[in-house]
Amino acid sequence: MNLPLAQIPLLLIALVAILMVGSTHLRLNIWLFSAQALLVTMATALSAVQHSDSHLYIIAALLFVLKVLAVPKFFMYIIEKVEVQRDTGTVVRAPVAMLLSIAFLWLSYILARQLPVPSGDTIGWPGATAAISLLCTGLLLMLTRRIALSQIIGFLVMENGIYIFGLTQTNGMPMFIEMGILLDVLAGVMLAGLIAFRIKKNFEHIDVTMLTELKENL
Amino acid sequence: MVNIQNALLWGYLLVSIVIVPGIITGLIRKVKARLQNRIGAPVWQPLLDLIKLFRKEETLSETASWLFRFSSALNLSIAVYLAITSPWISPRPDTGACDLFLFLYLFAAMRLFTMLGAMDTGSPFGPFAASREATLSFMVEPAAILSLASLALVARSSDLTVVFSNYTSQHWALWVLSGSAFLLASLVELSRMPIDDPTTHLELTMVHEAMILEASGKNLALVEFANALKLSILFGISAQCFLHAIPGLMVNASPTIHGIAGLTGLSLVAGSVGIFESLSVKLNWRAAPEFIAYSLAVALIATLAALGADFV
Amino acid sequence: MVILLELMAVPTILLLCAWLCKPTRILTKLSALLLWVQVAVVAIVVHPALLTNALPLVILPEITVERLDAMFAILTQVVVASSLTHAHVFFAHDDAHEPENHNKLRLFYTCATLFAIAMTSVFFCKNLGLIWISVEATTLCSAPLIYFHRNKHALEAAWKYLMICSVGIAFALLGTMFIFASSQYGAVAGGSLNLDQLTQSAPRLQYPLLRLGFLFCLLGYGTKAGIFPLHSWLPDAHSEAPAPASAMLSGGLLNCALFAIWRVSRLVTDSGHQQLVQNADLTMGVITVVAASLLLVRQHGIKRLFAYSSIENVGLMLAAIGVGSGSLFLFLAINHSAAKVALFLISGNVIQAVGTKSLHDIHGLLTVSPSWALVLLLGGFAVTGAPPFGAFAAEWQLLANISQLHLWPALVALLFALAISFLAVSVHVGRILCGTPKQMVTAFSPVYSSAIPVGLIIITLFAGLTAVHKFLW
Repeated sequence: MNLPLAQIPLLLIALVAILMVGSTHLRLNIWLFSAQALLVTMATALSAVQHSDSHLYIIAALLFVLKVLAVPKFFMYIIEKVEVQRDTGTVVRAPVAMLLSIAFLWLSYILARQLPVPSGDTIGWPGATAAISLLCTGLLLMLTRRIALSQIIGFLVMENGIYIFGLTQTNGMPMFIEMGILLDVLAGVMLAGLIAFRIKKNFEHIDVTMLTELKENL
Repeated sequence: MVNIQNALLWGYLLVSIVIVPGIITGLIRKVKARLQNRIGAPVWQPLLDLIKLFRKEETLSETASWLFRFSSALNLSIAVYLAITSPWISPRPDTGACDLFLFLYLFAAMRLFTMLGAMDTGSPFGPFAASREATLSFMVEPAAILSLASLALVARSSDLTVVFSNYTSQHWALWVLSGSAFLLASLVELSRMPIDDPTTHLELTMVHEAMILEASGKNLALVEFANALKLSILFGISAQCFLHAIPGLMVNASPTIHGIAGLTGLSLVAGSVGIFESLSVKLNWRAAPEFIAYSLAVALIATLAALGADFV
Repeated sequence: MVILLELMAVPTILLLCAWLCKPTRILTKLSALLLWVQVAVVAIVVHPALLTNALPLVILPEITVERLDAMFAILTQVVVASSLTHAHVFFAHDDAHEPENHNKLRLFYTCATLFAIAMTSVFFCKNLGLIWISVEATTLCSAPLIYFHRNKHALEAAWKYLMICSVGIAFALLGTMFIFASSQYGAVAGGSLNLDQLTQSAPRLQYPLLRLGFLFCLLGYGTKAGIFPLHSWLPDAHSEAPAPASAMLSGGLLNCALFAIWRVSRLVTDSGHQQLVQNADLTMGVITVVAASLLLVRQHGIKRLFAYSSIENVGLMLAAIGVGSGSLFLFLAINHSAAKVALFLISGNVIQAVGTKSLHDIHGLLTVSPSWALVLLLGGFAVTGAPPFGAFAAEWQLLANISQLHLWPALVALLFALAISFLAVSVHVGRILCGTPKQMVTAFSPVYSSAIPVGLIIITLFAGLTAVHKFLW
């Protein structure tokens, strides 16, 4: 396969997301997320080299420190504290969800081909494909998992997709906005992690599909 | 000169058909035995078993019709035909075309006759297992077809001999993906470990073994041999897929290297299947679709890669 | 820069107080005082923008104040100040039961202050990226407010709130990126998120991308605002949060989310596609109003009832955005915020007094506490748009605008839904007021506990009687 170098991390990101949907081991999922974040960092760095854009280097460094190292570390810590290993999943089992996510990958390829692409850019369509499929896959992860932690990972996958979209479809968002977004998302993840802790403490489980006490009394 | 080479190739192919299935089955058993800290039977033991079975007397169910023995014989003939035409081993003589759909559906025909034979004897376990076999076979069909079809898509031919004659390893990722998908699908096709434990002795959980419970003597030998041949062909095809992914290995190589590579690849695949079977546990029947879904997922990714490679 | 310092001075003092003040009795009183000072500060700082619409008041580059922004900022500050002033009454009662909640209270005040800052910055930012960051910050700051009670229900509500809103907001981020992408094909060199630049070059934005961006932003910020199919977090969060937090969510946060939709809608309108805005916003608004009014009929919790009423009002405001009228949007927001804050604050007291949220067990308020009953009655009328309150004038104007556009199905649906919601809220409030009371703890001074709600009701009454919006524009 003679793909340009810049496209390879993008396609691998989409594949890693599919693997994440297929796996129910939380630790493996966190490792996969870390790998995905590393690929995102690589894509950013490649883009930085291509456009010789100094601010992308800073973003890449931040991504590496926060998403590749800090967030997975934090998740591992939570997993140890709440003592869960696997996510049993909801009605849609992991392999079936994996098939769905592959279908989403194909759909996003079709969609991505219809978007306008910045001129002279080789990462336009693989970027859009990866971004849209990551969005769908992240949503799928959130919908098909029970454990609070998997849902947070699903959210992060979605967020990666949006970041990839911004990276490949635009000539780079302004840096302070990019950093603000990163900060906000991380704060959200930390907060959600802390709430997951509390769920484990109060309910003795961490299965968020069982949080159904507040329903409509219709 | 050409004739001599052709004759040698034919000879190699026919000898392989007779010997390799037994050796491969024995190899898997040997690997599993060593992993269980047993010495295990020598790898050629299945061949000796076959000879022993051919010499044994046969007991036939009173309710069995002609179909019972006919199905075993037919299955073996189909297996031999496929072994001659399909590129499961290299180097091969020119044996004409082998369409991938014909290839897969002749295997399906083998399954059909195995199931008919199983239901023919009147044993309660036969139909039981046949129904499971039917369920599995229709679930695994998409994965098996897609994994080979993705290769055919890139080669622009559904003829397996054409598909496998391209040694440029340009699409190495596709070869690896298709090979893995086909290997996973073969495990289901062959009713092997995560789906069905071939060494189990509990009829209620058996799939393949329960269908051949009533076979004995020469009939059992035919069934066993056909099955071992099927195993070698399926594993051989995936081994060839993996070999095609290694850059520069098979391009312009001499027939000897082809032969060594093919046999080594097949043995490695069989050995890793043995290791996998030792490490895994038999899945709950209801979890079988999940395992098949994983193989389908790999096959789908291979197809996407093939389509992508086609467009780019 | 000086203006920024002025705006941030009081919140900084508040944060320091919340950090340093161990005895919370002083903290609650002090913060009530400081927040009204902050209302005055904001009003004084932004008053140039109120008087003239010619030049925006520049705080920082990309952070400027125009007239609508200024009005919304003052409204939000009033909402926060009222809620936290009343919180003194509310938490004083809580205090009697749980002496161990000082740290909880300090966290509450810290988060509430940050929440107010984030909400205000939504109105002032003139950059879609900054708006997104601010809206996400409001989610993060308000989740601890919802989790105040530290029990299972609060936990569930906070989790749902955080997850659903974060996912929604993620879609808004995607929409923001689409808009950014739409600007880089000839409109602005290199693309931009600056609203001024985008508005100037609006006709040159690439329409397919802009449309996608608008729809994703509507979906994302709409989740935050609680538009119909995505509203599920809203009743839970409003019902489980302590009353002052519910009031701030309903009276402040929903306006912020809608304001973000307003910004994007304006951009699309300026690009010459007001039909898209009208179709999407108005349709979603009407659907939300109809669905919320139907859901209002069968409610079992007093705060859930008012939460659904908030959803209905969000639908009305979205419809006002759809018809493209900023003044109408503002007028609806003022009336809804004032009346709903009053209702949430009073219903918080009612729940504390009766000890249950269930509408089946709250009866006879008229005999127990006439002042509360009066506020509930008037507030109920005010949020459903009965004359003479401001919401009536606003809804009248909205219906008039819709009929001018000849959108008869929307008009009929709105009239139908408004009638149902009026009946539903009246019946529920009537049941609360009449009947024989079960045991009531009347530990509340009627003057203190009703002062703020009555003041808010007077605001909306005044707005209705004078139809202020005629003079605003």
